[in-house]
This record gives sequence, C-alpha cells and structure tokens, in this order.
Amino acid sequence: MSTQTPRRYVNKEMKKKLLVLFMVVVALFILLIYRLYSITKDNGDSYRKQILSQQKYDSTIIPYKRGSILDKNGSILASSEKVYNVILDSNLLNSDSDCIEPTFSALRKVLNIDTNKARDYFDANKETSRYYIVAKKQSYEKVNELQTMLDDPESKVKGLWFESEYQRVYPGGSLACDVIGYTTSDNVGLYGLEEHYNDILSGSAGRIYGYMNDEGALERTTISAEDGNSIVTTIDANIQSMVEKYLKKFNDDYSNNARTGNGANNVGCIIMDIHSGEILAMASYPNYDLNDVRNVNQLIGMPMLDEKGKRVIDEESGTKVTITEENVHSLEGEALYMNLNNLWKNFCISDAYEPGSVSKPLTVASAIECGSINGNEKYNCEGKLEIGGYEIHCHNRYGDGLLSVTEGIERSCNVCMMYVAQSMGIKNFTKFQHVFNLGLKTNIDLAGEARTDSLIYTADNMNASELATCSFGQGYNCTMIQMISAFSSLINGGYYYEPHLVKKIVNASGATVENIEPRLLKQTVSEETSRKIIEMCNTVVTGEYGTGKTARPAGYMIGGKTGTAQTLPRGNGEYVVSFMGYAPADNPEIAIYVVVDRPNAYGQDDAKYATRIVRSILTEVLPYMGIFMTEELSDKERAELEELQIEITTPKNVEEEENTGEEATGSEEENTEEVPKREEIWKTFPIDPATGYAVDPNTGEYVDPVTGSSIGYTMAESVNKNPENAEGEDNTNEKPKGENVGVAGENATATEEDSPW
Amino acid sequence: MANRFTILKNSKIRYFDSILFLTVIFLIVFGLVMLLSVSSYDASVNYGDSAYYFKRQLLNTGVGLVAMLFVALVPYHFWQRLQVGIYVFSVVLLLLIIPFGTTVNGAKRWLNVAGISIQPAEVAKLAIIIVLSHIICKLGNFINSWKGFVYVMAPSLPLVFMIYAITRNLSSAIIVLGIAFVMCFVASSEYKRYVFILLVMIGIAALAVFVVVQNQDSSIGFRGERILAWLDPNAYASGKGFQTLQALYAIGSGGFMGKGIGESMQKLGYIPEAQNDMIFSIICEELGFVGALCVIALFLLLIWRCLIIAHNAPDLYGSLLVTGFLTHIAIQVILNIAVVTNTIPNTGISLPFISYGGSSVVSLLVEVGLVLSVQKEIKVRDY
Repeated sequence: MSTQTPRRYVNKEMKKKLLVLFMVVVALFILLIYRLYSITKDNGDSYRKQILSQQKYDSTIIPYKRGSILDKNGSILASSEKVYNVILDSNLLNSDSDCIEPTFSALRKVLNIDTNKARDYFDANKETSRYYIVAKKQSYEKVNELQTMLDDPESKVKGLWFESEYQRVYPGGSLACDVIGYTTSDNVGLYGLEEHYNDILSGSAGRIYGYMNDEGALERTTISAEDGNSIVTTIDANIQSMVEKYLKKFNDDYSNNARTGNGANNVGCIIMDIHSGEILAMASYPNYDLNDVRNVNQLIGMPMLDEKGKRVIDEESGTKVTITEENVHSLEGEALYMNLNNLWKNFCISDAYEPGSVSKPLTVASAIECGSINGNEKYNCEGKLEIGGYEIHCHNRYGDGLLSVTEGIERSCNVCMMYVAQSMGIKNFTKFQHVFNLGLKTNIDLAGEARTDSLIYTADNMNASELATCSFGQGYNCTMIQMISAFSSLINGGYYYEPHLVKKIVNASGATVENIEPRLLKQTVSEETSRKIIEMCNTVVTGEYGTGKTARPAGYMIGGKTGTAQTLPRGNGEYVVSFMGYAPADNPEIAIYVVVDRPNAYGQDDAKYATRIVRSILTEVLPYMGIFMTEELSDKERAELEELQIEITTPKNVEEEENTGEEATGSEEENTEEVPKREEIWKTFPIDPATGYAVDPNTGEYVDPVTGSSIGYTMAESVNKNPENAEGEDNTNEKPKGENVGVAGENATATEEDSPW
Repeated sequence: MANRFTILKNSKIRYFDSILFLTVIFLIVFGLVMLLSVSSYDASVNYGDSAYYFKRQLLNTGVGLVAMLFVALVPYHFWQRLQVGIYVFSVVLLLLIIPFGTTVNGAKRWLNVAGISIQPAEVAKLAIIIVLSHIICKLGNFINSWKGFVYVMAPSLPLVFMIYAITRNLSSAIIVLGIAFVMCFVASSEYKRYVFILLVMIGIAALAVFVVVQNQDSSIGFRGERILAWLDPNAYASGKGFQTLQALYAIGSGGFMGKGIGESMQKLGYIPEAQNDMIFSIICEELGFVGALCVIALFLLLIWRCLIIAHNAPDLYGSLLVTGFLTHIAIQVILNIAVVTNTIPNTGISLPFISYGGSSVVSLLVEVGLVLSVQKEIKVRDY
C-alpha cells in the first residue's frame, strides 16, 4: 500500500502549525506552573498544618507484662498472657473490592465469630474508618493464621492489623482465689496478693510518641515497656488444692441440709508453718473463679445482703433470705456489688467472729506466764458460775466436778477458765490479749485484713463478767489469721512470727530482687509454758473426754483445741464452730485452723463439723509433707488410706512409741484419779436408741453420754423452740456484751464494713 | 534553527538527537527513583515488600527499552505496511476485555495474558498515531476540507467509543481523541475550523458543569459528583474530593524547596494511588516547587526536541509519527498536572515515564523508538 503512496514532505504550513502547537503547549505549561506556584505560596502554610494535623501523634502505649504469682514450688497461680485485638481498616479494605468478601470469610473461619456487626459497620463507614475492633483478646495462634493470610496476596485478605495487650490468666481457676485476688482489665489488682503487691507486679508501660523537631518534621521515639516483677508465694498449690477439695466436700455434704443454701455461711481454713509464719494454704468457701469473677451464679447458696450489706429478711416469713437460682438475677446495682464483695472477700482475714473455746489455751498460757497459776491447780465445776450478777453456764450443765487445768482444756470447761481468768485479773488478761496481738492487725501481706481494735475490751472498759466470758472466747472478736498466728506462738516455743504469703520477689528475667525472710516479732510466752500448753492441747485429741478426738488423722497424733461459739443475739441457735490443730503432736511443725461459720445443720453447736474437715485435710497433707506416721492403723484406717492412695509410713517399732505415749497420758489420768470425782449423773441417763445420745429425764434434752455436754438440738426442740435449751458447749445465759462488740454479733460478716478497703 | 538541518539526499552522515535520548533516559531513571520513594510505604503495607512496585516497573522498563531499540532500528515505513493489522489488533484487544478483562480497584481495564497484564487503551494510543499518520499522508490537501477532517477522525472514533464504553476510562478516550484532533490540526492549513470545534467543546463542557451544579441535589451521576468535588473539594473531603484535597495538601506543604526526597508524609497512606496518577503531587511535596519546575522543564525539553525532529523529518509520514508522540506526551502531562492541581475535574491520567504502569511505559517507549527511527533518517550537511 505504502509503496503506491507518493512520498510527501513536510511543508511550510505544517512547520508553522507545529510551532503554533508548541506555543500552545508552552502556554498551558506556564499556566500550570503559575497554578503550582500559587498553591505553594498561598496555601503552603495552612496545608502544611493540615498534613501535620492528619498525622497521629497521639502517642501509642506499649503494654507492659504484669508479673506472675507463683506458688512455693514455682507453679503458676497467676500470669499475664499476650493477646491481640483484631482491628479492621475499612478504608484500606474498601480500596480493593475483590478482597472484601474473602476478608470477612477469613475472619469468620479463623476467629469463629459472627461478623455481621463488623460487616454492617464496614458498609456504613467504608470510606472513612481506619480503626474498628472486630475481635478482642485473640490468641497468638489465631492472629498468626490471619497474618499469614495477609502476607499472601493470593488469599485476598486485606485491611486487618493487630494490637497487642496482656490478659491476666489464672490457670487454677478458683484455686486460692481469696489469696490471689484478681485484676481489673486495666491491670489494677483487687483483693489479695494482686492488690497488696500491685506496685511490685505492675511494670511501667512503654510509649511510642511523635514530636516536632526544630525543622518542623515529625520524629518518633520509642520507650520500651518494663515488665513487672513476679512474686513467689509460700502457698503450696498441692496443699491448697487438698484444703479446697475438703472445704468443697463439706459444702456438698451439708448444702441445703437444714436450710436452703451452702453448707455454711463461710468455711475457712489456714495451714501455717509455725516456725516461720509462712502460710502454706489459705482458703475459704464459697470461692469464685478468678477467670470469671462476675459470674453471679457463684453467689447461689450465699446469704443475701442488701445494698447496705445487711442480711435481707423476708418480710412475710421473717426468715433470712438466701441467694437461689431464682432470685440471683434480681440482684443489681449496689446490692449486687455488696453480694459480690461478700464472695470476693477473704473470710480468713476479713471476717471477725467470736473465737470461742479455741482461745482457752491462750487464757491458760497468759495465766501461767504472769504467775497467777502454775498449771497444776484444780477447780470445781458445778456446771455454772455466778459472776457479776450473771449465771454463766458451762457446756456441761451438770458440772464436771473437780478438774485440773489440763482437764479443763481437754473437756473445754468454761468454769475452769473463768477461775483461771479471775486469778490473773482484768489487767493481766487484757495485757496478754495485746501480747497475742488480738485487736491488732497481723500485717499479713494481703489486702483487706479487718481491723479488730474496737472489737476487744481494754482494761478500762472490761468488767468481771466480761472477763469471765472472754476467758473462753466469747465477747470479743478476732480474725482467723490473728488466732492462728497467736496459737502458733504458743506451740513453737513462744515465738510470734508475722504471718506472710510471699517469700521472694523475682524480676521479669527470673533474678531474685528481694528475699523476704520470716519476721519474728516477739516472744509471747516462755518455752516452758509452750511445752505445758502442748501437753494440755494433746489431751484434747487423746484424752477420754477430749473434744477433738475426731480430728486425728489416720496414722498420726495431733493436738489442738475445739471451739463452738455462740453468735449474737445469744440463743439464736447459730454457732461458729472451729478446730485449731497442730501436727505432729509432740514436735509441732504446722498449725491448721478450720472455722465453720453457721454450719447448715439442725444442731450447729458441734465442733465435729470442723474436726472432720481437719481430719480429712491432715490425712492427705501430712503424708504429702513427708511427715512419718507414728500411730498404729486400724483396718478401717488402712482401707481409708489405701483408697486415697497414700503411702503408709508407720514405722515398725510403732508399738513401742505408742506405749510411751500412752504412758504419758496414763500418768495424767492417774493424777486426776486422786481427785474425788463428782458423780457423772448424765451417765445414768437412759440412752435414746435412735440417736445414741443420753436423754435428760428432767428436760428431755439430749446430752453426750460421755462428756455430758448438751446436744443443742432434739426432735422435740425443733418444734418447741426453747432458747434456754438451745445452748451448747460454751453456754452463757448472759445478755450480749458491751455495745462496742455489737458489730460482731448477729452477722460476723458484717464486720467487713470495718475493713480498711 | 532549521537552517542547521538541511536535508541532503545523498548524505551519509546520520543524525542522532542525543538530547531527546538522554531526556527520555533521565525521565525514566528519575521516574523509577520517585516511584520507589512514593510506593515503598504502600508496597510494604500491602505486599510486605517495599520495592514491590519498583521491581515490577523496573522489569517493564527493561522490556520497554528492548522494544524501543527494536523499533528504532526498524525503518519506520515498515509500520505503514502493518497499519491495518495494528488497528485491528488494538480493536480486538479492547473487545477481549469484555469477556476476559480483569478488574483492579473497581475498574475493568486490564487483560491478563500469560501473567502479563496489558492495558489495551495504551495500545490504542500507539495504534491511532500509526494509523492516522498513514491516512493523513494519503489524504494530501484533501485534509483541508470538512470531508477530509471527517476522514481523519473517523477511524479514531470507534476506538474512543470502545475505550469509554468498555473500560469506562474517560481520560484515555479523551487522549485518543485529542491525539487525532491535534494531528489533524497540524497536518491541515486550516485554523478557523479547529478553533470553532475547540470552542464548541469548551461550551459543551461548561454547559455540563452548569447542568451538574444546577441539579446537584438531584440524582447526579458518578461524573457529576466529580465535577462538584472539583469546584469545592473541601465539601467532598471524605468522598470524591479526598484524593484531590490530599494532593493539594502535598503540593502546598512541599513549599519551594520541598521536604527532601523520601520525606513525604502524604504518601504514608493519605493519598490513594500515590504511585499512580498522583505521583506528581508527591514530587511537589518532596522536591518542592523547584523540583516540579524541573520536571515540567524536562517534558518541555522532550517536546521541543520532538518539534525539531518533526520539522526536519525526511517525509510527512515520519513527521506525523513524531507529532503524534509529541501530542501524546503533551496532553498527558498537561492533563495530569491539571488534575493534581485541581485545575480540571479529577480523572485518572498517569504522568508519562514516571507513574507506575507497565503498558503505559512500554507503549511510550515504543513511541520513542518510532521517533528515534524517524530522526535517524535525518541527513545533515557534511561541513
């Protein structure tokens, strides 16, 4: 074709036109240059500011890792895990319409979430939004899977990024919940160790921040985060779980028994190393899941409190209301908060109650220390004593006759204690309460320890009858931790250690920052007194009339003291029963204290609710601690241990040792035999074949056929409530003591109002 | 200036326009540097490789340079023989988009052939230059009549229509139409007709703007909103005006000397497609008004060299090929800078040799090859 076309040349016209074209182009270029110039000149400054204002200088926080809480063997009780928030950049995703569907389906598939809400948000804000949290607290594995998809252009996933933060995780769930406490989402510890050691566990957050330098350019600086220190506690997770297992079992056995609700309002247990003040286990029931603290179902079975923290009373029936599945969801606002607080508080340190007979060894030790008795005195118990115009009864209203101090402890005789307290007087009694740290905080390293300074008497406001009741632990209040710390000093030679839960602070890389040594505060009693008290307390478990026989675990000999305390108002049939034990009996290493606050049973005034728990716990804990068995095992006990798969460590020459033990107790009995014994008239009562108890023909009341103490409950009484007959071991006919202790009365938990938090 | 280049029929001394060649090479290298600077953020966010766009563009440029050398060595009359084939080829490519086109960023403009994506609109621009050069040569003085004008415009209209109808790419359609119009203008000795047509076009455009502004509350279309955003970008800051406004921020904040290469803040996700149509705004931000002036000067230098070659081309066909290239470059540069400075409504036009885009750089380099092929036929007097 082209070859046929004549060859044409560029003519002058065209050259002219080319020049015209060039001129037009130059003119347009000049126009555009002028436009550029004017934008730069007129709007330069304002546009520069616009750009800077668009930049996100607001500094970004790099989260720190909160320190872990470890048990004494290094097991993790609480730790912080890195988790990721998935952020959707709608604007970026919208820039590629092919990616929208694949991205949402990837989110559904990987995170297993419903993306409808995110999709609606995306559709509404796809042009502007660059930050929308699609999912919170996702694990690294899931986020990594998404990141792999983001990196692979083939998968068409786009517009997602991740923000990291730490989440507190409690691998044990409810294990040691009262000791550990929990954290709010912003890493502030609440309750327990989390609150007390908050400053140590907290690190300092890092930051990325931008600033303008001298030339007006944006610079970014990063300060990296500093992780918090970890704490190594004295808690042994194994012992702790053994304790919690049996507290739970008690609850399972007794819940909804005599009344609706838990097995008791509160059950608490502390195990302490008496030679250092280290807490090996501390638990209370009801407990809660640290990973789900606000689950209201955990409140079911607890007493219902109103917004002021008082028990809710049903207006029609006049009975106290318990939280049930039906009414739990009606709780809201302040009232719900009150009930949750009641769940979250640590009964062992936050609740004050009247300790009852557990305090009797303290009374005796005080009297020996100040020289008013030597421990060999004998007192005549006639079942009651009249002091200051009041008749104060013993648990055995028929009287035990002439008893030594040791027997007074063994049988838990109130009259005996009243004589002992009288002999030393108010001044000495209150002085020794102070020595035993009653009314003072123990300064245990936990948040929420109750103040009890207004819940005990001083020398100035105590009268004779108050001294008498205080001698057997009624009329003043204490906390579990106060009682076990004081008692530990009685049986370890008189050394009062500050109870503590943390023995070491380590930094994020595992190096020790601080070792926390046991802190010896004072000598409460002499070693000699300590030895005497151990002898006396051993008879509680070994003696014929001992009130704590049921606390002895198979294969071991232990000592201790029971307690059955009335609550206010007196005669309401509600009791706080307890057992303070120690093991081994002759050379104590640990102390254990179990308190059952208002057991869910028809007759609450039975220390066996506490002793049985102690027995179960020690049966497992003592072998675990490597303490060898010293006692012969009956076939029944052997079967029991085999079922629990506990190694039997009874030495072969056990008989010999036991003989010496029997000799020791035998000699004591010899002493008592010299004393003319009061006739044990309850032994003549007819035995009720149905219950095995003796029945008092005069009152129709059931009494223990061995000790003569009345069993607060009979079938007849349950119908015809006679307050006189509903009295138990530590029976007083008195009116409630001084107004200043009233707080601790009707509801021991009410004292949480006085807690410093 | 023309007196330096007197055409001698039998001279053996070959002319080589080194200024043109070096300007093109400089623009390509400068374009690659700016592309790396502008796109590294976007590339690392979306592809995890900050040099993703750079590497691909480098490869495309290499292919383009080889194609350029090949075309430069082939006598340009060779293409005159293939012109029907080239025209049909570009039409077929455009039609193939309908069944086989791939969609990127919501626009169906690409063909994927064995892993290489081709933008048929770029091929059409090349085809129209070759075809029209031939037709104008054939028409001779006939081009000065209305009929001749219609003859020249006729083959370009199907392409323009297809580009707009199939790819919804208004800017490429305008460029093809513009090339045809300007080539026709240069070849004819008429003025009035072209001034008249230009005035009519401007009138229609003004009317369109007027209609859109009057009906801005009613259901106005996609293009309509662009016009409104052009008139008041702040009012559409989160929608159609966003890109324009961010580009203006970039230009304004660059000042006279710029923030320095690599220092742009606007490329950090604020200007969408910064490596593409909006790359000039980042050049202004990083290199300032002075840098932008230099870039414009480079393009002007290129256009000037093309003017000289078109003036002295050995024949009309060669001269028209060069004129076509000159027009192509001029229209794209002017429209691109006009869009970036919000002088005209926003429409996607890339900056030759600098914006990211494989088809664009290859087809531009083929055109440069044609120009080189033409200029090497210029015979200079042996002094």
